[in-house]
Amino acid sequence: MLAKLTGWLLLGVVRLLTGAQARWYGCPPKAEQRIYFANHQSHADLVMIWAALPEELRSITRPIAARDYWANTPFKRWITTEVFNAVYVERGGAPVVPSAPAASASTKPAVPTLIPTERIEPSMDPIEPFMIQVPPPAPAAFAVKAVQLPLIALPGTEPDASASSAATATASDAIASPAAEAADPLAPLIEALTSGDSIIIFPEGTRGHTGEPQKFKSGLFTLAQLFPDVVLVPAWIDNIQRVMPKGEVVPVPILCSVTFGAPIRLEEGEERRPFLDRARDAVVALRSV
Amino acid sequence: MNQFLRDLSPAHQVAALFLLVFGVLAIVSTVTFLISLRERRNAMHSESWRRELKVFQQLLSTTWFMVVMFWIGWALGEGVATLLFALISFLALREFITLSPTRRGDHRSLILAFFVVLPIQFILVATARFDLFTVFIPVYVFLAIPVVSALSNDPHQFLERNAKLQWGITVCVYGMSHVPALLLLSFPGFEGKSAFLVFFLVFVVQTCMVVQHLIARRFAYSPLDAGPRMWRWLQREPFAPNVSRSFNWVSWAVGMAIASVVGALMSFITPFGYGQALAMSLIACVAGSMGHLVMKALKRDRGIPNWGPKGMGVTGANGLLDRVDALCFAAPVFFHSVRWYFGV
Repeated sequence: MLAKLTGWLLLGVVRLLTGAQARWYGCPPKAEQRIYFANHQSHADLVMIWAALPEELRSITRPIAARDYWANTPFKRWITTEVFNAVYVERGGAPVVPSAPAASASTKPAVPTLIPTERIEPSMDPIEPFMIQVPPPAPAAFAVKAVQLPLIALPGTEPDASASSAATATASDAIASPAAEAADPLAPLIEALTSGDSIIIFPEGTRGHTGEPQKFKSGLFTLAQLFPDVVLVPAWIDNIQRVMPKGEVVPVPILCSVTFGAPIRLEEGEERRPFLDRARDAVVALRSV
Repeated sequence: MNQFLRDLSPAHQVAALFLLVFGVLAIVSTVTFLISLRERRNAMHSESWRRELKVFQQLLSTTWFMVVMFWIGWALGEGVATLLFALISFLALREFITLSPTRRGDHRSLILAFFVVLPIQFILVATARFDLFTVFIPVYVFLAIPVVSALSNDPHQFLERNAKLQWGITVCVYGMSHVPALLLLSFPGFEGKSAFLVFFLVFVVQTCMVVQHLIARRFAYSPLDAGPRMWRWLQREPFAPNVSRSFNWVSWAVGMAIASVVGALMSFITPFGYGQALAMSLIACVAGSMGHLVMKALKRDRGIPNWGPKGMGVTGANGLLDRVDALCFAAPVFFHSVRWYFGV
């Protein structure tokens, strides 16, 4: 009851401040299972896209929330779980190098300071082991094991929202070790998808400063492989960074909109990087609609 | 009949006025609705005519909305009316700021504009502090906004950003706040009827805008297709085509004339005499229509068809600011002319 009331109140405030306008360009709002993926500029993105969805979809769509921001006070934790019905994901594990200040919760790979260059795909095709169709009511643990493979078998790629720096360091024998399993950031998402909910994800993994979305991380690709029947809908959240720039606490009223585009799908045998770039382009293309 | 109306108490007179307006609106809406029904069953007109009908229906719904707002405002007292205008002002400013490029350094100034300046201005109106309410924005806020901006340590396009914000505040907050201020003017022998003054201003300005809009639509200039001879004098080239494709002095003058005559005919609900009402309507309409033109120039500069949410232009829905910009410009001019001339 209290959660519902808070939801209504928050919705009113968000509408008054931003208009929270949803623009369905590429697909109608429909109650099918979907993965919405959007650009990420502000913590308020989560609230924005939640407010833009129509009432009927809001109850079956679960946004993801970064645990280190949305669960650091009891109130935030309550509102994230009770009102948004969000899925917590980890980002930015404990830095291995203690001298590195943990001030920014950005997802810096712990060891190399440079952004890892794009790796050439190994010849041993890593896609094969988990082309197994995961039946929807599969136990989550099984799915998690399958997902472990790409994270582990491809060291040196962008660490995936990476608490798996430890795992990437010891690449070979960490398969499905309990530690890695706990560190797998995708597990809660897979759980939510398996139970039939739609989810909202931000594949950049971190908030951008520039307005240009950063490179997408591979989580989206993995989810697209595991759940081929779920519709992938790109979304562009416009103007939200002006409402609440990083480091400000008081929002200012500026009209925002969430534009939903035409669904994309993982083509047969499509590689990881091309797919992620295509997904990113689909999101960016919505900016000028 | 006339005597009967004069003998009513002020409250009853206002109620009668609303009854009349609602009646006219209801008749027009019904007719439009029936026409659209007929059109739906068997289309007799062209595609463009149907589009016109849609535009007209939108205008009608806006008018309904405005009148209902006024009625609520009048029924619940001046405080509520002021609050309503404050809300409209807030939404208009929100639209304006959305379409002006602001940077991170403007954040504090924007907070000041929305959450400090706007409430204070309307509180000053509600408490009838006319001297302060007149100078608060042009003097104090004019200085305060750039100071806050300068303190945010971002000199990039400083003048432009601040000018835009000042403009937004002047039009949306300062201009709009003069509408409820009319409620507080006390003319001798006109107590309790200030709602008429607000109604008079809004009605005259809206009439002027609608007439101009209709003339521009109906007699659009096209060099190839000259219409029938008798209407040719209305089809003029646009005077400033880069700003407005419909503005020309002739149709503007016709709009002015019609609206002023309407204002003069309505003089019996105002404290003005016949000639005074004509002059006051003329002043309000000139300010309003020119203000509308200025806002059009701003829209062209931003490269947008209209205010309001992005992408709504293609669906034909307009922003709130398109509807109220003429009023925002007309209200301060009208208010200060009235105060100066009548010394109230």
